[in-house]
Amino acid sequence: MLELVGAHLQTESQAEFDHQFAPGQITVVLGANQSGKTNLCRLVAGQNSRARGQVLLDGIDLKTVDPRKRPVSMVYQAFVNYPNLTVAQNIASPLLARRGQGMMDKKTVAARVDELAHKLQIHSLLSRLPHELSGGQQQRLAIARALAKQAPVLLLDEPLVNLDFKLREALEIELRELLRETNTIVIYTSSDPRDAFTLGDEVLLLAAGEKLQAGAPLDVYLRPQSLAAMQLMADPGVNKFERDSRICALRPEHLRTVTDTGIDMTFDMQVSAFETNGSESFVHGEVEGAQWVMRCDGMLRISPGQHLKIGASASDVVQF
Amino acid sequence: MKTNMSRWILCGYLVYLLLPLYWLVSMALRSNAEIAGEFSVLPASPTWLNFAEIFSNPVWYEAFANSLTYVGLNTLLSLSVAIPAAYVFSRYRFLGDKQLFFWLLTNRMAPPAVFLLPFFQLYSAIGLFDTPLAIALAHCLFTVPLAVWILEGFFSGVPTELDEMARLDGHSFLYFFFRVFLPINRGALGVTLFFCFMFSWVELLLARTLSGAATKPIAVVMTRTVSASGMDWGVLAAAGVLTVVPGILVVWFVRKDLVKGFALGRVS
Repeated sequence: MLELVGAHLQTESQAEFDHQFAPGQITVVLGANQSGKTNLCRLVAGQNSRARGQVLLDGIDLKTVDPRKRPVSMVYQAFVNYPNLTVAQNIASPLLARRGQGMMDKKTVAARVDELAHKLQIHSLLSRLPHELSGGQQQRLAIARALAKQAPVLLLDEPLVNLDFKLREALEIELRELLRETNTIVIYTSSDPRDAFTLGDEVLLLAAGEKLQAGAPLDVYLRPQSLAAMQLMADPGVNKFERDSRICALRPEHLRTVTDTGIDMTFDMQVSAFETNGSESFVHGEVEGAQWVMRCDGMLRISPGQHLKIGASASDVVQF
Repeated sequence: MKTNMSRWILCGYLVYLLLPLYWLVSMALRSNAEIAGEFSVLPASPTWLNFAEIFSNPVWYEAFANSLTYVGLNTLLSLSVAIPAAYVFSRYRFLGDKQLFFWLLTNRMAPPAVFLLPFFQLYSAIGLFDTPLAIALAHCLFTVPLAVWILEGFFSGVPTELDEMARLDGHSFLYFFFRVFLPINRGALGVTLFFCFMFSWVELLLARTLSGAATKPIAVVMTRTVSASGMDWGVLAAAGVLTVVPGILVVWFVRKDLVKGFALGRVS
């Protein structure tokens, strides 16, 4: 169990919060840029940052642990590997550092390197140098090295954000398999709510250094406690309106054209933009003075400038 | 046609660059009588006697040894001071760091001659005068800021995440610094070494003032060699040739790193 006590992530905010990360679970820390995600990682890893707070692992304050023996490994957003060491030497590096403390013999190290290289599918590149690898391979290497340490806490700070779309999806699925196998406390930061659903056993929502909400991704999705929390879990953003002087919100995917069934409330939309990728379409427009987005399956025949009657089921409305 | 033209221009330029060097070598291979005699492009009867004179006369070879001693000492001192300094400047923020960094550069703004008198008087007072260390230290005033500036640029190009990662991996700072950080900055070290060596090797004013009979550098000996029988042109030329050699050697050894270094090769 990893515990944050009185975590203060952003100098600009006064917010402090506590949170507990359970072993064997992947916690996706979701937040926009500058929300304190990286600072959270740096706080846990014990690296210089503006973040303050106590970090307890199974009740032991990590501040009292020698930074070199800190039971934490980390994968950075930039692909960071030792540029002058081969792939094999890179993976072996944390193992060899511990070998100095008399923990591993050469054979075990070699076997472990081989195993990890196979898991991350870089075993054919073992004698290459990092700069000879593609971006995706470099990040695979960084992940392999982080796993090699077998630390009880694994931090992944937006590890896939610098990769292109297809690579990201493929690696994400692999990561889920890899990380589920272990009994590690995994903290994975991201700004994409989809990561929370594909990877997360738990999601922690951060905004400006403040903990908005935490819980199982689906719970947080269905029962957001604040508009900001709902915004964070929605891609694209949510649609706001007012009923009986209460703020209400609807997700883009819950809006439909009025020809659909199951509608018990309707809105008038002045369409301003329309985008589609074939499998889904987004209609942007103005409703009751606010900008709204509607997500539909497949293609729609809609052009900007037209009036559109849209509707939703009252049960999908979230009230605050 | 066009490539032919540019080829000729390039060749012309090369000849222009190498002509003085060739003439120096060609003089070194002639006797004094031939140098003073008729003009000829090639030495009529090449002789190694001038070089033999330098390698057998202690005035000459000791001067070479003196020069190499203080230049080597200077390069060693400069690098061993500048490497940690540049690392700190690139990695840490502290009170007055920017001012201190800029102040280092201002040392380079003054002409060396300005420091002649204070160095001379100070060294004489503390008994450092006429030692290789005196000249090496004086040159450090110029080479250290230069080295710090060059190295800091390169070091800053290495992401700090690498330092942090090494620590998380469980490596000691010394392991990281010597096994990872310095090797990936080899280009930078090569360039810096080159600049320090070259400055110290060609600097004449401080070297001449701060050296006595025991440490006379080669450049000084060359400017003072007038014997009773007049100038010994051939030997002087041979000394000149030998003076160029260390520079060429240094460039040869660091040439690969130099190319990377001058490209201001950010670590990829």
